Amino acid sequence: MASKKKGKAPSRPADGILESKRRRLSFLVRMEPKKMILYPLVVFVIAALLLAVHPPEKGIDLKGGVVVTVYHISATPDELAKYVKDKTGINVRAEKFSDPITGLSGIRLYAPAGTNPDEISNAIQLKYKNADITPRVVDPTFGKIAQKQGIKAVIYAFIGMAIVVFLFFRDPIPSGTIIFSAFSDMVIALAVMGLLGINLTTATIAALLMLIGYTVDSNILLTTRLLRRKEDTAEDAYLSAVSTGFTMSTTTLGALLILWLVSTSDVIDSITIVLIFGLLADFMNTWIFNAGVLRWYVASPFKFTLKLRRGS
Amino acid sequence: MARRKGIKALLLNWRVLLLIIFLVGSLAAIAANGLTYGIDIGGGVALIAKPEKPVSGDTVNGIITSLQNRLNTFGVKDITIESQRDPETGESLIVVKVANITLDEAKQIKNLIESQGVLYMEFNGVIFATGADVTVHSSDWGLNPRDCSTCWYVGFQLSGKAQDNFKKVASGKTGWPVDIFLDPPTNSLLVVSSRVYQELQNPADFNGKAGTQAPTLLERIEKAFNITVVEYNNQTAEEIIANATNLGKKSIIIADLPESLYNQVKDALLQAGSKIRVSYFTPQPNEDMRDFVKRILNLYGPYTLKFDPAQGNSDRLQLSGSAATKEEALQEAKRIYSVLRSGSLAVKLHVISEEYISPTLGAGFKKQAGIAGIGALIAVLLIVYYHYRRWKIAIPVASTSLFEVTIILGIAALIRWNLDLPSIAGIIAAIGTGVDQQIVITDELLGGSPSGKVARRMGLIKRMARAFFVILASATTTIVAMSFLLMYFVGTLKGFAFTTILGVLIGVLVTRPAYAEIAKHLLSLD
Repeated sequence: MASKKKGKAPSRPADGILESKRRRLSFLVRMEPKKMILYPLVVFVIAALLLAVHPPEKGIDLKGGVVVTVYHISATPDELAKYVKDKTGINVRAEKFSDPITGLSGIRLYAPAGTNPDEISNAIQLKYKNADITPRVVDPTFGKIAQKQGIKAVIYAFIGMAIVVFLFFRDPIPSGTIIFSAFSDMVIALAVMGLLGINLTTATIAALLMLIGYTVDSNILLTTRLLRRKEDTAEDAYLSAVSTGFTMSTTTLGALLILWLVSTSDVIDSITIVLIFGLLADFMNTWIFNAGVLRWYVASPFKFTLKLRRGS
Repeated sequence: MARRKGIKALLLNWRVLLLIIFLVGSLAAIAANGLTYGIDIGGGVALIAKPEKPVSGDTVNGIITSLQNRLNTFGVKDITIESQRDPETGESLIVVKVANITLDEAKQIKNLIESQGVLYMEFNGVIFATGADVTVHSSDWGLNPRDCSTCWYVGFQLSGKAQDNFKKVASGKTGWPVDIFLDPPTNSLLVVSSRVYQELQNPADFNGKAGTQAPTLLERIEKAFNITVVEYNNQTAEEIIANATNLGKKSIIIADLPESLYNQVKDALLQAGSKIRVSYFTPQPNEDMRDFVKRILNLYGPYTLKFDPAQGNSDRLQLSGSAATKEEALQEAKRIYSVLRSGSLAVKLHVISEEYISPTLGAGFKKQAGIAGIGALIAVLLIVYYHYRRWKIAIPVASTSLFEVTIILGIAALIRWNLDLPSIAGIIAAIGTGVDQQIVITDELLGGSPSGKVARRMGLIKRMARAFFVILASATTTIVAMSFLLMYFVGTLKGFAFTTILGVLIGVLVTRPAYAEIAKHLLSLD
């Protein structure tokens, strides 16, 4: 519990805000460490099952295929798809998209790999003179290269992160928990992608990598605050850390939300969506799961070995 | 009075000074160099091509010079060609980016990359050698000071068969023109303005020393490559197409004529579902008719035959010429050398990834990225204010982020890094972690507890040390993670990794320490 002694410090409105925020977050302190560990694990298992049943689909840059995006066009998706089919004999799937803020809208046409995009764009150019056509073609062989490299990049980044974290804390339980939290964040983000139908692309792989950075930020903060504690009690240290963490997460989430609302770019949109869900998962994994483990750990008999090792 | 002194001391603090220096430098770099944008923002085409079979690094360099030569016919457009090696399989990929072009030009570029560059040597309307017949020994080019101080030469060797052909067609024709073509528009109908038509028959420009004795260039290309040239006399698009169809041509070239004619022909061809392709050439500013004709035909030379091939037995031949200055002579020799070399390349390229963004759309993206950035910054400002209810915290946090973006952009401008969408995502990532870390610093400064008790028990320096331990640990982790991305990704995500690392480094080394000083100052004055 936060100590509520009135010090000599003059009371300012900001302190009131800080205090009410802590009061709101103090339910976390009252939670039993066992439950704090259990609930996030349950979420992780559900996410892992979801991921196994319904993994996110691979986007064209990993699978190969043809997408022709048409901006500034007056036709409806069905009209356009039918026109393209009549003119070229190519079966395309048409999808409308629009952005409420910039008002930019258009139609995306998906065609199977091996299609010649020039035929489609020629046909559209013929009928819709003012349309802005942006073909994107990925050969399945390149998709395979990108996929392989993406998986490798994630695995290596993860291993690199694990080594750095371990070197910083030199203690298997706290570092292991951080690494697991990062892993769980990614699994949950991937499961949400599957649920929302967000494709796995090079951009979303980048977002998963970004997630490693964010996760590590908050987890290192928590672990440092709890292990190199200067406050009176572990509860106090936890509360001050979680309050900082809450500020961090809400600020980043707010900025991401704005980005998502404003951007029409596919790349930016998918990156922000993945990050938003990843950060929500991270909030749980850091401030509940990792905190639960650490609180149990600090209170456990192992604590003194830890003190010996880290000094502080 | 004490307050002013405080500000002065703050501004003279080396950490704050460093930030100011970086900021001023960045603004200067942006002002001087400007920002350069990637294809996905600036507009243009990005193509990734793979050689049909694995090739050595030397061959890849050859392919790149060859592509450079062949793409140069598109005029003064901004072209970058680079190779990327897959570290695992050792396979090379070739990435071609051309900025600011139309969709039609993008299609032509793709066709050009996929078609094997074919070199032809032609004499008197007869092709006597192709790329496969030509061997160029490395570095067999340079200045030829024995002839004149600005004379250049390029040596090459012909295969036996080509040598025989050459003797047959060229014997006794000293002084006649020898033409070299790389990817000429074979089997095509060339519709040109009257001045281009005249130029094609200009013996002074294209007939070497043979004058009217030798056939004109127009006659030579017709005989050798089945290129039929017609002068434009207000034929309709339909008449032009009918003419090309009757002659069995596979493409139509419209040169030095109104663009509307090209559009009419293009539309009529599409309407008819014809397989015939059409392309359009117009002279560049400062381009004379001779150079324009050479560009349409991809003609190098013509060179003048200096000896009678029937006499003498050497299979070693030399192309030579002269230029205005030594530098130009060397440049010309190098160009011809690379053309001859590229003509002998045997590997075909296959485009495996293609992305095109129109320039108008790109402009829209640029504006949007700006709006999104400002929006995100305002969101940060308001949320931080909401948490602390102090503008003295919210404004420094948001402006430090703004400074960070400025410095990242400044360095990008300095090294002429192309900003593409993934690079911008990387900047966002760096800013996001940056804001997080500023909040860590702020909370440590505030003492972590509203009671003020802890703040006294634990010194300011110790609390800052703890904040910077967190910052350093997370920065190291991010940099390590992103380095793998930089090493292992081909193509698109390199920009992301690069800007993230850059942003994190700037954060740790410049902006975060400065923010800590500023925040310390502002909060102690509170």
